[in-house]
Amino acid sequence: MTRPANTPFEFKSAAHLLFIERERASNLTELLDSLRSCPEGSIFQHTFRTLEEHHFIKEGFSNDFAHWAYSELGMVGLGERLASLDVREFTSLPALRARLIQMVEDFVAQNPNARDHQAESPFYFCSSSNIVLPVELRAHNLGEFIEGLKQVSVHSIHYHFIEARLRRKLETNDFSLWLQRDLGLSRAAGLLNHIDIYTATLEGVKRKIVQVLQSATN
Amino acid sequence: MKDTGQSFPTQQEVATPPETQPTRARERRKPKISDTPPVAPPPARLSDYEPIIGKSQLDELHFLADALRGKAVKMVNSTALGGGVAEMLNRLVPLLGELEVKTGWEVITGGNDFFEVTKGFHNALHGGEYTLTQQARDVFMLHNEQNRQRMRFDEDFIVIHDPQPAGLIASKTEGPARWVWRCHIDLSNPNMEVWKFLQPMVERYDSAVFSSPAFARQLSIPQALFYPCIDPLSEKNKELDESYIQEVCDNFGVDRSRPIVTQISRFDRLKDPLGVIHACKMAKKYTDFQLVLAGGSAADDPEGAVVLKEVMDAADDDPDIIILDLPPWSALEINALQRASTIIIQKSLREGFGLTVTEGLWKGKPTIASAVGGIPTQVIDKLTGALVHSVEGCAYQIRYLLTHPEFALQLGRNGREHVKENFLMTTNVRRWLLLFRILSGN
Repeated sequence: MTRPANTPFEFKSAAHLLFIERERASNLTELLDSLRSCPEGSIFQHTFRTLEEHHFIKEGFSNDFAHWAYSELGMVGLGERLASLDVREFTSLPALRARLIQMVEDFVAQNPNARDHQAESPFYFCSSSNIVLPVELRAHNLGEFIEGLKQVSVHSIHYHFIEARLRRKLETNDFSLWLQRDLGLSRAAGLLNHIDIYTATLEGVKRKIVQVLQSATN
Repeated sequence: MKDTGQSFPTQQEVATPPETQPTRARERRKPKISDTPPVAPPPARLSDYEPIIGKSQLDELHFLADALRGKAVKMVNSTALGGGVAEMLNRLVPLLGELEVKTGWEVITGGNDFFEVTKGFHNALHGGEYTLTQQARDVFMLHNEQNRQRMRFDEDFIVIHDPQPAGLIASKTEGPARWVWRCHIDLSNPNMEVWKFLQPMVERYDSAVFSSPAFARQLSIPQALFYPCIDPLSEKNKELDESYIQEVCDNFGVDRSRPIVTQISRFDRLKDPLGVIHACKMAKKYTDFQLVLAGGSAADDPEGAVVLKEVMDAADDDPDIIILDLPPWSALEINALQRASTIIIQKSLREGFGLTVTEGLWKGKPTIASAVGGIPTQVIDKLTGALVHSVEGCAYQIRYLLTHPEFALQLGRNGREHVKENFLMTTNVRRWLLLFRILSGN
């Protein structure tokens, strides 16, 4: 617990501001057009960011596209497919955009009549601009790291644990990288990457991270 | 003792009608409430919000403000008193000041002719019939020009609220000041003649801000999204002593030993109070509860008085339908009624953002609301509340939530978190700080 890290872990967070984009969709044809033309910030907002905005919900909410397909288009099958998308499989927004387009195209190919079915209400594309915030917490060893985790907000957890993949272009997160690189805790680092972020609230994810790290030290 | 938000009776209690005969409805219609507005409490300070949002969120506000220290902001709107915009500015301006972002607030002046024109514009922008005359254009531009000549715009950020003062943009120069148009109204279906008149002015701003993506227009400038917000420390939303909640219920003849279903809204057909009564009558065939319909005073609104009478007639002296026509200074009483409620309803036929929904969600109440206006942004069906599209749907959700209290409690918990994350005054402060930083490039 007290073995010093090669470099301290600096906790950060991010603040986001939403912008309304030009794209909006009332059916799957328009959704596909908009998915192709919208800024990358929209892909980020409606997948990564919405997970943070709805961090307190653990059932039925994984991304805005899935929710819209299910609740506004009434297409449960498409909703389920889109909801199965795990943002942690992506280290770039173009790849995530391509997967979304592919999923909708596949659904339309199998259900041609669904293409122009009108939604109850449109999907409005938004995007987010963010500013990184310091948290003024540093961890020099595992004990301090666990204490830091307990203190930081869920937004900090989202920043380090979920958004980090896009920033680092790696299939891992800030916590695991530091644990492996600076403390040599490869097993714990690996276990963190297996925590399910879609069946728990972000508070629950935070508790699970702490639990994994406490177990690693026993 | 504080209200815990857990006012659910057990299923057994729900299903069993009370043995005592409730007070007759007509005897309840004279609640003890002051004839004059009480003295407003002192405004909350930023640190007062820490127990609600947590230290980390408060620290983030200070960090965001640090880069803006020494900058000046001017807010301009058309009224200092009354209405949601003035109410919001009354809280926002001192909070930004406390963060050392010097913020001033000025109100434009104008004669009856100006405000008649702007009222016409307001209705037209909501889609109402309107013929834009040259005289109306001239009156609008003349008063904007007079205000522009009177005012100085030396600040770093100028925020103009709503269409009335939009013409002040003529003072924008090539200098570093950034101009923001904050539109609080729904522009989704405007009278195009009026919108085409205003649009060139709006597009001279550096950014616009709307309350919902659905309310926005296609514009050549960036459009930020600021959801409307509530102040958790206001009279309407602050925590109340359990004894006070009980006192208000006793005063209004509301029986807290039985479930309470409440809609708070002025007596207006667009709030569908008759639909609520109908839904409750359908649901009451299966489960016992009282309905409280509490709204603003209808004294100065002829149509409101007509609707109130229709509501009284529909209630037909049912002792379990409690109709309360409250004066505008009843914030504490409304707060108490919401906290005493088992379920909150907002069965509007048309709605703006629906801040009464936000208030109910903030109090951790399971909320049943129509899928109109800004309500679906707040009520995510089956996750933060129940969305309905009909009287029948409303009736079913009342029955379901009253007989599934654990699910209802979870909706209430999620709803409160949703408000905490997105619709509180402190979130609004954060959004302004972010927008100013983004506009100034830092």
